[in-house]
Amino acid sequence: MVAHDSQYPPPKKRALTLIGGAFFSSDHKAIGLNYLWLALVSVFLGMGLSLLMRIHLVWPGAHIPFASGLATTPARYAALTLLHGSLMVFMVLTAAPQAGLGNYFLPLQIGAREMAFPSLNAFSFWMTVFSLLGITASFFLPLESGLTLWVASVALFCIASVCTALNFSVTTIDLRASGMTLPRMPLTVWAWFVTAILGSLIFSILLAACALLLSDRMIGTQFFDVPLLSASATPYAAGQGIPLLWQRLFWFFAQAEVYVAMLPCFGIVSHILPTFARKQVWALRAVVLALCGVGLFGFCIWGYHVFQSGLNPFAPPVFAVVAESLGLPAVILLVSWLGTLWNGRIQLTTAMVFAIGFVSLFIAGGLSGLFLARRDLAEAAVNDEFITGHFHLVMGVAATFAILAALFFWFPKMFGRRLNETLGKWHFWLTFVGVYFVFMPMHWMGLLAHSGAASGSSLFPATSITVMRDFITLATTATVAVQVIFFFNFVWTLRRGERIADPNPWRASTLEWSVASPAPADNFGAVQPVVYRGAYEFLSNGDAEDFLAQNLAPQSADRNEQALFELTDREGKN
Amino acid sequence: MPGSPVLDDVIINVEDHGGRGGGSAPPPGGDDGDGHGKRRRFEPPSPKRYYTGIALGLVSILMFFMALSSAYLVRRATTAQWIPIRLPAILWVNTVILLASSAAIERARKHLLFGDFSGFRSSWLLTTGLGLAFLAGQLIAWRQLAAQGIYVATNQASGFFYIFTALHGVHLIGGVTALIYVSRRKLDSAKVPLAVVADVTSYYWHFMDGLWIFLLAVLYLGK
Repeated sequence: MVAHDSQYPPPKKRALTLIGGAFFSSDHKAIGLNYLWLALVSVFLGMGLSLLMRIHLVWPGAHIPFASGLATTPARYAALTLLHGSLMVFMVLTAAPQAGLGNYFLPLQIGAREMAFPSLNAFSFWMTVFSLLGITASFFLPLESGLTLWVASVALFCIASVCTALNFSVTTIDLRASGMTLPRMPLTVWAWFVTAILGSLIFSILLAACALLLSDRMIGTQFFDVPLLSASATPYAAGQGIPLLWQRLFWFFAQAEVYVAMLPCFGIVSHILPTFARKQVWALRAVVLALCGVGLFGFCIWGYHVFQSGLNPFAPPVFAVVAESLGLPAVILLVSWLGTLWNGRIQLTTAMVFAIGFVSLFIAGGLSGLFLARRDLAEAAVNDEFITGHFHLVMGVAATFAILAALFFWFPKMFGRRLNETLGKWHFWLTFVGVYFVFMPMHWMGLLAHSGAASGSSLFPATSITVMRDFITLATTATVAVQVIFFFNFVWTLRRGERIADPNPWRASTLEWSVASPAPADNFGAVQPVVYRGAYEFLSNGDAEDFLAQNLAPQSADRNEQALFELTDREGKN
Repeated sequence: MPGSPVLDDVIINVEDHGGRGGGSAPPPGGDDGDGHGKRRRFEPPSPKRYYTGIALGLVSILMFFMALSSAYLVRRATTAQWIPIRLPAILWVNTVILLASSAAIERARKHLLFGDFSGFRSSWLLTTGLGLAFLAGQLIAWRQLAAQGIYVATNQASGFFYIFTALHGVHLIGGVTALIYVSRRKLDSAKVPLAVVADVTSYYWHFMDGLWIFLLAVLYLGK
């Protein structure tokens, strides 16, 4: 009996347990769940802040209980924006789809027992917690010391992200079960893998930038020629007066960071669509190449954010071409998603509608993104509401939809219960309509502002802008309020939701569905799973059992044989 | 019922399969080294992950220092009045020490390869000593600069010099810690073979060596 080797001692009951199992564990599932909790707290905090910002924008004098003193001056308002942005980008968009869902499901999907370096994984998580605490605390400190703490916290987050990325890459390269060749890996695993490689490169760059900035702020060096991030700088002069060196370093990170957040979402959507369309992924190899292409191009297009501040005159066209060529993998992904849906036997579960909602947002955001890849348009549009709308629609909302799709999809595997589908559908439709009401007018306002600027006189009276602002704020309030449905669904299901006895309620084919729900502490038990086929083998025979699980042996005439032996083998051990 | 390995209504029948599940042929595409009719049990993941880990980790570290040195070059090109600093001569001595330590660690690995554990031990300690000597030498270089009145905030060039040496030093302290950790291990430690740990540490050490030469070249040629 070699159920527990020296490398991975049996999971012990820890004295200190907190929400959702062992809080101080180095088990990949516990850590993944902890990241998800962290992201859940951050997303509600960040959402509350965005509501606060909208209200201050429209009714500057409004009195809100408990929150009235938070944005009294422009500097405080900027601090609020910073907190909203850093919580959402770092703790939600970067942490949830990659570190949260990835930690839980990457080892399960490739048939591994653990991540490659479990202690390093725990270290990364704790660094992320400290980073979250630092970022939040920095908001309440005086501006100068707050900013120093913020930069230090971001540096901590960089270290955590590099370690997580390292763990993910090594796990994917070295810990796959036998038979799990690269083409057989689920697309989620591909996406996590590419993201990990991208993340290990760009977070190092942000770390270097933070190191230089910290030394400027703390030991008096002058790497950046004008004081960066200081109280005297006007909060809205982004792009002007920021040192060129900082812009270069920052955008090298930040442009690729968009893909660090989006790539896992692409993977999740590419994974959920075939499962609920009961069809193989359309052009699977092309999708894998497209995921790699997004990573590669995403790493190379940083320069187009520096258009405004001057580069070598030959550089902008080059960057514009690379940025436009990012459209190629994007179109491949989109065509594959639509091709997978085409003629599929579509099951409109909540996970599926969120995935389809993602595709809708991806199209909308992608179309507006085409404008921004052009140099002249990007120069005009930077800093206005068009950019705000575009960015939030693609990165914020689309990514959130993918995360929600993944939550509804994997909730049975994580907790052994199923989120309520009716509440889920209500949540989806209200949110879907709500976000379009919030962000489409923002695009429109950006265009209006430019049409006015181009013709020399404002074609539209200022009141129409004010009306639109009010409308956006009301829509934001309604959309945030709707999230209560999700919160209720989540908490209620955790406590008394519908229990799922079937380990594979969605009839999905990947390895994580071959183990019990919630996933056992030792994942697959004493026996390593063997993989015989690709991840998306759905049959068009119309049966209830219209799929071939990855660990289903090909040559057994009786298909139950494999399952039978796993059962007997396991029982023989116990 | 394909795809549902946990069945509640199957008749368990084990007689004529000889403990062999899943089928007779090795899974296509996977490695099948030890699949001789036995079911695969979970083994500790192969030490290969340490090699992959150090390779990818070094790429991250390389990226970090590339960002720093590109910052140096951009700043150097965009600053109107760049005042270069004279690099202290002891840096050349330090460089030789660090190169010697790399040679020593290779010697240690060769000893280990031939099973000469005490030879390994002494060469390994020599490496550790040379590493510490390099760090001390860097501190002396700082003191020499400070004695000339050149501090970290004096000008951009001095700032970059101190930051480069400090961040390289931090990474080197990590390397020395690893060296000490390895030298305190038993030969037949259960978890990870000593050879693997020694290999991985030596890769890191050589990388720090090459990195220092690169940083020195950037500082010297780019001044």
